[in-house]
Amino acid sequence: MNRLLAIAGRELRSMFVTPDAYVLIGVYMLFAGFIFFASLGIFLVQLQQIQALGMMQLLDQWNLQDIVVGQSFSTFALFMCFLVPLLSMRGFAAERANGSIELLLTSPASSSEIVLGKYLAIAALLGVVGLLTGTFVVLLFLYGDPELWQTLAGLQTLFLYSLALAAICCFISTLTRSQIVAGFVGIAAALLLLILPVAADSSQSDVLKGVLRWLGTSTHFDPGLKGEIRSEDLAYFGIVIAVFLSLARAAVDSLRWR
Amino acid sequence: MIEARGLTKRYGGLTAIADVSFKIAKGEVVGFLGPNGAGKTTTMRILTGYLPPSAGSAAVGGFDLAKEGRSAKRVTGYLPESPPLYPEMLVHEYLAYVAALHDVPRRERRDKVARALTACGLETVEGRVVRTLSKGFRQRVGLAQAIVHDPAVLILDEPTAGLDPIQISEIRELIRRLAAEEGRTVILSTHILAEVEAICQRVLLIAYGHLRLDARLDDLRAQGSLEDVFLREVEAAAVPAGKAALVEAEL
Repeated sequence: MNRLLAIAGRELRSMFVTPDAYVLIGVYMLFAGFIFFASLGIFLVQLQQIQALGMMQLLDQWNLQDIVVGQSFSTFALFMCFLVPLLSMRGFAAERANGSIELLLTSPASSSEIVLGKYLAIAALLGVVGLLTGTFVVLLFLYGDPELWQTLAGLQTLFLYSLALAAICCFISTLTRSQIVAGFVGIAAALLLLILPVAADSSQSDVLKGVLRWLGTSTHFDPGLKGEIRSEDLAYFGIVIAVFLSLARAAVDSLRWR
Repeated sequence: MIEARGLTKRYGGLTAIADVSFKIAKGEVVGFLGPNGAGKTTTMRILTGYLPPSAGSAAVGGFDLAKEGRSAKRVTGYLPESPPLYPEMLVHEYLAYVAALHDVPRRERRDKVARALTACGLETVEGRVVRTLSKGFRQRVGLAQAIVHDPAVLILDEPTAGLDPIQISEIRELIRRLAAEEGRTVILSTHILAEVEAICQRVLLIAYGHLRLDARLDDLRAQGSLEDVFLREVEAAAVPAGKAALVEAEL
């Protein structure tokens, strides 16, 4: 446990003394902020139009929660496909490139401790990203009346989704010495999983359709982002995290066997 | 303290080392000498538990690497060929991290880091970022991380490679002191004969993956020029290995 925490602590400290994490999270916040306030602006304009036209029956379906929070959270989920791979591409790739992997593998730390230590650091960083994303919604609460629980459910789903992507990218970074490769493959994998359900719709076989839809990440974060937490989605993210961290551990083990 | 029994390592069709066996007693300082590509690094990586052997077994500090690898790693300090540094860390931060990785309890860490810093002459740079250090200082930080958890066994892979003559003599002096003061068992690899003469009492000569010679330096000196002895052994090793390569090519 001490070794695990030492690895996680070192990883986190490195992230915060190099500009990488600041830049990436800064850019994310810039875009996220833009999207959030743009969707808020659109919402207000549409609201005025509806009032001007007197179509009051439409107002029932026209709420702040779905339009502003739901829509922008979906866009944030897309941003995660870029942010998470870029944040976690250093992971093992950098250790292998600069030779410090030899220090880890000749220390008493087990492969599980090494993988979990690194993952814990990324998870903590993504927790920060989640909190920062939450600040937008806090602004909304100051001036409007969104649904608290739905919003929290959306944030939680966004966080879980980013954790699942981090596990995938953690595994990918064990396979290469190149951070660039790790980053790009990570982005590709994240985007692929995102669009799998679209591919599912065009498939002929029902079995294949079901499988592709289940594998796709968007199938499992869409309900959550709209405020509906389903246990099957929680299970999906849990499975993805467990599977890819086990794969990462196996990959680290295989580094010892070359 | 260190025991290798019939160590063999194959990478695909290439045999890096074949049937290497030796025993090193506590407090001995042994030079692992051989031309580049002879199998020195492979042997050391097996002894540090980084690579598993294809055949044979090894024990460090009385712990079998296959069965009690974690205990063996705890008593081993290892400096790989290129020091495993994190460029963005501070020197003392880095050493504290390595200590934690090797199970040094939190309350002892500060003391051990301070001792390693003093032993390696790093007091003046403890607050510097590793990236900004000169090559000589980086090598010292590499040595400091190898001794920070107070290991009984030190395994140093080409500790003076790439340094200037002054740095080389400093590092050699440092290794001598680390070995003498604490009674550590040291095994260091090099392809420089003078290095073995300067630091070690005993030499293991490896060439083309075979252990050719295991002798005390004093005994060897009695046989005449060390250089002649080594060249003779390396050449003698080259012949069978060359033949083996030919046979492999035909297959």
